[in-house]
Amino acid sequence: MKFGSIVCTAALALATPVWADFPEKPVTLIAPFNAGGGTDLLLRGFQEPFAEALGGNAVVQNMAGGSGTVAASHIAGLSPDGYTLGYLSITVSTIQPQIKDVPYDKESWTPICSVAASPTMFFVGADSEYNSLEDVKADIEAKPNALIFGSSGPGAITHLTMVAAMNGMGVMDKVKHLPHKGSGPAMKSMAGGIIQFFGDTEVMMSRYDLKPLAVFADERLASLPDVPTATEAGIAAPLNELYLWGGLFAPAGLDAEVTAKLASACEGAVQSNAFQAFAESTGTVINYRGPEEFDAFFRQQWDANKTLIEAAGL
Amino acid sequence: MLEALPAALGLLLTMQGMLVLVIGTALGIVLGAMPGIGSTVAVALVLPFTLSMEQAPAILLLLAVYAGSVYGGSISAILINTPGTPAGAATVLDGTPMARAGKAGEALGWATVASVVGGLFSAILLLFAAPQLAAFALQFGPVETFALICLGMTCIVTVSKGSALKGLTAGALGIFLSTIGGDPITGEVRFTFGQYQLIAGFNLLAVVIGIFAFSEILIRIADGASEGGTKIEFKGIVLPRLSQWKGRLKGLAKSIAIGSGVGVLPGTGSATAAFISYAEAKRSSPRGAEFGKGEPDGIIAAESANNAVTGGALVPTMALGIPGDVITAVMLATFTLHGITPGVRLMEDNPVLMAAIFLGFFVINILLLPLGLLLSKVAAPILRIREPLMLSAIGVLCVLGVYYVRGNPFDLLIMFAAGVAGLFLRRAGYPMAPLIIGMVLGPAFELSLRQGLIITDGSFAAFFDGHPIAAVLLTVTAVALLWPLVRALLSWKKERSRA
Repeated sequence: MKFGSIVCTAALALATPVWADFPEKPVTLIAPFNAGGGTDLLLRGFQEPFAEALGGNAVVQNMAGGSGTVAASHIAGLSPDGYTLGYLSITVSTIQPQIKDVPYDKESWTPICSVAASPTMFFVGADSEYNSLEDVKADIEAKPNALIFGSSGPGAITHLTMVAAMNGMGVMDKVKHLPHKGSGPAMKSMAGGIIQFFGDTEVMMSRYDLKPLAVFADERLASLPDVPTATEAGIAAPLNELYLWGGLFAPAGLDAEVTAKLASACEGAVQSNAFQAFAESTGTVINYRGPEEFDAFFRQQWDANKTLIEAAGL
Repeated sequence: MLEALPAALGLLLTMQGMLVLVIGTALGIVLGAMPGIGSTVAVALVLPFTLSMEQAPAILLLLAVYAGSVYGGSISAILINTPGTPAGAATVLDGTPMARAGKAGEALGWATVASVVGGLFSAILLLFAAPQLAAFALQFGPVETFALICLGMTCIVTVSKGSALKGLTAGALGIFLSTIGGDPITGEVRFTFGQYQLIAGFNLLAVVIGIFAFSEILIRIADGASEGGTKIEFKGIVLPRLSQWKGRLKGLAKSIAIGSGVGVLPGTGSATAAFISYAEAKRSSPRGAEFGKGEPDGIIAAESANNAVTGGALVPTMALGIPGDVITAVMLATFTLHGITPGVRLMEDNPVLMAAIFLGFFVINILLLPLGLLLSKVAAPILRIREPLMLSAIGVLCVLGVYYVRGNPFDLLIMFAAGVAGLFLRRAGYPMAPLIIGMVLGPAFELSLRQGLIITDGSFAAFFDGHPIAAVLLTVTAVALLWPLVRALLSWKKERSRA
C-alpha cells in the first residue's frame, strides 16, 4: 500500500501545473562556440536584459566544437524543461544537420524566438576592378576555372552566399572554391590576392578593405543605398535572399506556457535599451520573431537551404 | 606609431595602468604555473573582469595575463614535468632532466632570461615594424604555409629521444588523431564511429594535459608516491651569470628570430615555433649531442622562441584584424565590446591606444623578471608538500583546465584516456613530444596542402614554380631530412678507405 501511495503522490505532483512558477532556478544559455567569439559576445549582451525580463537568473555557458554541432547535439538530447536553451544560427540549426551525421534534425526543437538577422553581401577587394556582378560574371566566363571564391569553411554562411551568387549568375562550374578555417584567414587570402570573391555580412566591411557589389536582402540597406540587391543584380529567387540569423531554441516538446514565458522575456530583452545599445556597437541587426512565427520561419529555411546545399555539392 | 608615443605614455603611466600591468602579469604567471592550466584558460578566466574596464586597461590586462601565463608555463614544465600548453612540451625536453639532476633553479634561470629577452625583442618588433611584418605575412599563402609546416614536421625526428622509429610512430599517431572530426575542405565527418562528441575532433589541450600532466600522475603512483615532497630540489631561481652566456648568444638570437617570424604567420602558433627553434638549436649548437639530457641551450631555444611568439602573433592581429590563435581572437572580441573595430584600420584609427598597448607589452616583458623571481619563491614550499596531496591537487587542476576550455565533459574522457595511453607509451619508451607535434601540425598540414592543390589545380610541381618562398622552405626540409643520411654515408666511406 505504501508503494501505491507514493505512485499517487507522484501522479498528483505531475498533474499539478508545475510550470506556474517557472523559472525556479537559473536558465542556462549555451553558446555553441568559444568564449570571446561573436555568438558568445551576443549572448553575454543578451543575458542580463533577458534575466531581468524573465524575473529570474540566466547564465551563459560555452560548449564549442564541430561548427556548433556538438552543443546543438547536446541540447537536443536534453529533456525539455526550459532551463537550457541554445543560441543557434542558420548554419547550426538548418545547414550542418543536413550535411553532417548529427543526432538532431528539423523535428528536434521548440523554437523560442529569433534575435538577430543580418543580410549577407557579395564582396570583392576594395581595390578590385569589379564594380558590379555583371563585371564578375563576364570575367569568370572569360577565364573559366581561374578565379576563386573563399569561404570560412564548408557549409558556412560565407560558403552558401557564394553558392547562391555563382549559381544565380550561372557560373558555378567555372569558378573554384577555397575553404578556410574562419573568416579571418579568408580575409588574409583576399588581401594576398589568392581569392577574389567572398560573401559575409556588413560588419566585415568595417574591419577589412572590401567593396560590396550586392546585398542578398529584399531591399537595399539604408547604410549602403548605392549597393543593389541581388534581385536587381540579376539573381532570381530563391537564391536572391540570404540572412545570417540566430535565435533561442529549446529541445522539442517544451510546455507551451513555458515557451510563451521565455519568448516574452526574449522580446523584452531584445527591445531593452541595453541590448539595443549593444547591437548598435557591434553591428548586430536585431530581428525578433515569436515562437510560432520563428517555428514557421525555421522550417521554411530548412527546406530553402536544402536547395543551396545541393547546389554547393555538400 | 612613434608620434603617438608621448600620449600613449600618459595613458600607461597612471596608477590604474601600472596596477593592471603588475597584477595581470603576476596573475598570468601564477595561472600559467599551475599544471593543467594554460594560456587559454588563464585569458578566459580574466575576460569577464575586463568587461567593466576602460579600453586600454582591459586590453592590457588580457595581454599581461597572456604573456605572464606563457612564461609561467615553464615553471610547471620544469619543476613537475607537467606543461599546460603544447608549447611547454618543448621546454620539458631539457628542463625536466636538468631539474632531476638537481639544477632546477638554474634551469628556471635560463628559462626566465630567455623568456624575457625573447618577449622584449618581439615587443620592439611590434612597436617599430608591425605594418611591414603584416605585409610579409600576406606573402604567405597556403602553399608557403604548407612548406613551413613540412619543415616543422622534421622536428619529429629531432625530438625523438632514443628510437627514431618510435618517435615517428608517435608522430604518425598524433597526425592520425588530428584527422578525426570534420574534414576541413568538404565538411564531412571522419572516423567518429557515430559518436557526435567526436565531430569536434580530439581536443589538443585535452590530449596534451592527459599525455603529459595526467600520465605523470599515473606514473608517479605506479612508482609509489613518496611520503615526503618531490625529489626535485628547488630553492628559487638562479639566474645564469654573464660568462655562462658565452657561445649561447647566437643561438638565442636565432631562436628569437624563429619565434617572431613564426608568430607573425597566422595559423601556426607557439608550439610550432618552440619545436622548430629547438630542432634548429640542436642541429647548430656545439652542444647538440647533449640535447634532451638537460642542456641549457635546449631550454633557451624553446623558451625564447615561445615568448617571442606572443609579440609576433599580435602583428597580424593588430595590423590585419586576423587572429593567429584562440587567445588573440579573444583579444579582438574584447576590442569589439569596447566599441573599437578590429581590422585593417585599427592602428590608423586608434594610434594612441595601440601605442599604449605596444608599450604596455614591452613593460609586461620587463616585469616578468622581478615577478618571476618573486613568485617562484612561493613554488619552493609547494614542492615540499607530501606527494600524494600534490598529485591529487594536480589532478584536480587538470580536470578544471580541460573542462573550462570548451565546456564539454567528453574532453575529460579524452584526457583520462590520453593519460592512460601516455602511461603505457612512455613506459614502452615512446617519446611524447613527437605525438604533440603531429597533433599540432597535422590540421594545418592537411588544410594548407589541400588548399594549395585547389589553387594549383592539383599540381605538386606548381608548389615550386611561382612560389619562391615555398621552394626555398621545401628545399631546406629535404636537406634537413637527407643530410644525416649523406653524412653517415660519407663517414662510412671514409672508414672503409682507411681500412
